[in-house]
Amino acid sequence: MTAILSTRGLRKDFVTAKPLFGEATVVQAVAGVSLDIAAGETFAIVGESGCGKSTLARLLLRLIDPTAGEVWYKGEDLASLPPARLRALRRDLQFIFQDPFSSLNPQMSVGALIEEPMRVHSIGTRTERRAKVADLLTRVGLRPEHADRYPHEFSGGQRQRIGIARALASGPTVLIGDEPVSALDVSIQAQVVNLLEDLKDDFGLTLVIIAHDLAVIRHMADRVAVMYLGEVVECAPAGDLYAHPLHPYAEALLAAIPVASYGARPARTMVEGDPPNPIAPPPGCKFHPRCPYATDICRVERPVLADMGGGRTVACHRATELSLQGLADLEQARTPAARGRFALYAQAMADKTAHNRPE
Amino acid sequence: MTATALLELEGLTIALKGVDQPIVDNVGFTLARGETLCIVGESGCGKSLTSLALMGLLQTPPLTVTRGMARFAGEDLLAMPAARLRQIRGGRMAMIFQEPMTSLNPGLRIGEQIAESVRRHKGVGQAEARARALEMLRRVRIPAPEKRLDEYPHQLSGGMRQRAMIAMALANDPELLIADEPTTALDVTIQAQILKLMKSLQQETGAAMVLITHDLGVVAEMADKVAVMYGGRIIETGTAEQVFTDPQHPYTIGLMSSMPSLGARSGRLVTVPGTVPQPTAMPPGCRFSTRCPFATGACATVPPLTDLGAGHRVACAHAPLTATEAPAMRSTGT
Ligand SMILES: Nc1ncnc2c1ncn2[C@@H]1O[C@H](COP(=O)(O)OP(=O)(O)OP(=O)(O)O)[C@@H](O)[C@H]1O
Ligand SMILES: Nc1ncnc2c1ncn2[C@@H]1O[C@H](COP(=O)(O)OP(=O)(O)OP(=O)(O)O)[C@@H](O)[C@H]1O
Ligand code: SF4
Ligand SMILES: [Mg+2]
Ligand SMILES: [Mg+2]
Repeated sequence: MTAILSTRGLRKDFVTAKPLFGEATVVQAVAGVSLDIAAGETFAIVGESGCGKSTLARLLLRLIDPTAGEVWYKGEDLASLPPARLRALRRDLQFIFQDPFSSLNPQMSVGALIEEPMRVHSIGTRTERRAKVADLLTRVGLRPEHADRYPHEFSGGQRQRIGIARALASGPTVLIGDEPVSALDVSIQAQVVNLLEDLKDDFGLTLVIIAHDLAVIRHMADRVAVMYLGEVVECAPAGDLYAHPLHPYAEALLAAIPVASYGARPARTMVEGDPPNPIAPPPGCKFHPRCPYATDICRVERPVLADMGGGRTVACHRATELSLQGLADLEQARTPAARGRFALYAQAMADKTAHNRPE
Repeated sequence: MTATALLELEGLTIALKGVDQPIVDNVGFTLARGETLCIVGESGCGKSLTSLALMGLLQTPPLTVTRGMARFAGEDLLAMPAARLRQIRGGRMAMIFQEPMTSLNPGLRIGEQIAESVRRHKGVGQAEARARALEMLRRVRIPAPEKRLDEYPHQLSGGMRQRAMIAMALANDPELLIADEPTTALDVTIQAQILKLMKSLQQETGAAMVLITHDLGVVAEMADKVAVMYGGRIIETGTAEQVFTDPQHPYTIGLMSSMPSLGARSGRLVTVPGTVPQPTAMPPGCRFSTRCPFATGACATVPPLTDLGAGHRVACAHAPLTATEAPAMRSTGT
């Protein structure tokens, strides 16, 4: 594997201001993460709220400075790069935000918003940039004349398309999306997921996707990193992870997702309790207070990520002896007539999009 | 079924000031004791307005109930005086919202709030109400309930606040529970715990539940019956088994096709094109017609919710859809 983006021992501590009484608190939002993201793959980061996904994403682009550790992009350590060189590299590394509305300046027209990254990086002449804006708008499923309108005139899904067009404007190689489809309704989410996948193929992008929706991740990702309280506890090819998780927390996540197949779900045990306070994470394995398999060693010694072969790594003392449950085949059973209707629908949609395709 | 119905909603229609077409149009369903109905649909389809109307909590103006009847244990919720509705609300009919702080008072200890509601609806004394509050916190499995009783909402985690709200909602043994996206803001492991809790409490008490969600996964886990809404109307309804194994409405099919599967990867997602029209720009006839791949001239008339058998009802001019019944397809030449 040729890694395009790698981290080594990456850490970010947030220190809160000292309150009137007591001590200032430190949150280890990212607590020593080492990852290799391959060129051209879709790499996903999953985990529950507060586990450090957004912080990690921001560190990957050095939108924030790490407390410790390295971020390597094509042989350069972003963490120690001088500002000018970093600015130049930003052209290659672009970000898509969860909430397109709050990330787009409402005073700027859509055209100006998409053109901005090209201006910042002095790409093309004014005319060339305008042509590129029109091209990008078409590419993300909007129309060139939308360039003169303002973000508030668009729906959530359309604004996300604008955000994507803007991220593409500087011709990046890596696109990092922090929950890029989480705020969207299912039908709109599907449109944007398809768009991201098409763009990835057409522009040869590497995609890093952060999400908490495990179905979206399963659909999009080649490989997945599962985070718990600032650490990667398991990293594996998506299919392997879902079929046979190796970390108890990964098993717990898969058991917890509601599956949209009526009558398909076998009974399962669920993890109890809340995630622990990130300010005072438990000793030993951070998951041990909730882990159904925890033993004495788990309570005192922190497990480290170990190579399990097959491109999988896991941080659990008991990984080799446990046999954990993944998601078996949970396809919805349907009547033959219903299967026929789904086929009709898919065909009708394909015909309709073939009709409407520009060019 | 009808003989034992606890709630019968009929023809609920809600108007929004300045909008010609009703924003919720002719919505109805029946619910028996112990049953769970899931109302599912995308943002803005009228799920919350429907539940708010049942509880008499619509913001009026700009909203008005222009038509409809909601028979709850013999009385019409939509027609009764506000004072009577207040008696029922929080007592025989309770609700849970997405955001626990819409029902919890930040300035009151958890125990006091639950006890207050018990005193008001059950007319019991201080000590008994507090004992009930403790019992409820224990039943929703909040750890160290004696201690939590005297804590304020902000001292609890999000999942625990949601449990506290459920404890309060269930403290007076409601016959009907209305839950509007009760787990949407929670992490999946906490969501799974709360859904399991709601299910087991419901089995213990025999309460009926209207559960509003946009997540078909939650529907598959929880529902006995399903109502799929689009643009303010129910477009398909039936048992969970009917709707999941034999969906009929093109929107239901489109919604299910849009969901990425958890199984092996299967190429591009089949989507629903376009977006939901604004309330001011709803097409006449079937409101899905602007996005439907099967739409024809027949769809310009409002399709009635028609029983296709065994209570599985669908509002589509072309239902049940077959290859010969799909005129738009024939014209594009398959
Ligand atoms: N600027 C900040 N100052 C202080 N603490 C912060 C800051 N940003 C994040 N944190 C803390 O760091 C931890 C990780 O936060 P982060 O936003 O990375 O989580 P996340 O996985 O993206 O969560 P979510 O799914 O809710 O977006 C949390 O405990 C959070 O409260
Ligand atoms: N107080 C209000 N004033 C004006 N319009 C309103 C009001 N409340 C709701 N609406 C509109 O009525 C429609 C239905 O709203 P409702 O809140 O019932 O949707 P919902 O299905 O609950 O959506 P969500 O999944 O986003 O909660 C929407 O178009 C909404 O914008
Ligand atoms: S190390 Fe121990 S506590 Fe942690 S996940 Fe593995 S078995 Fe559970
Ligand atoms: Mg985040
Ligand atoms: Mg709502």
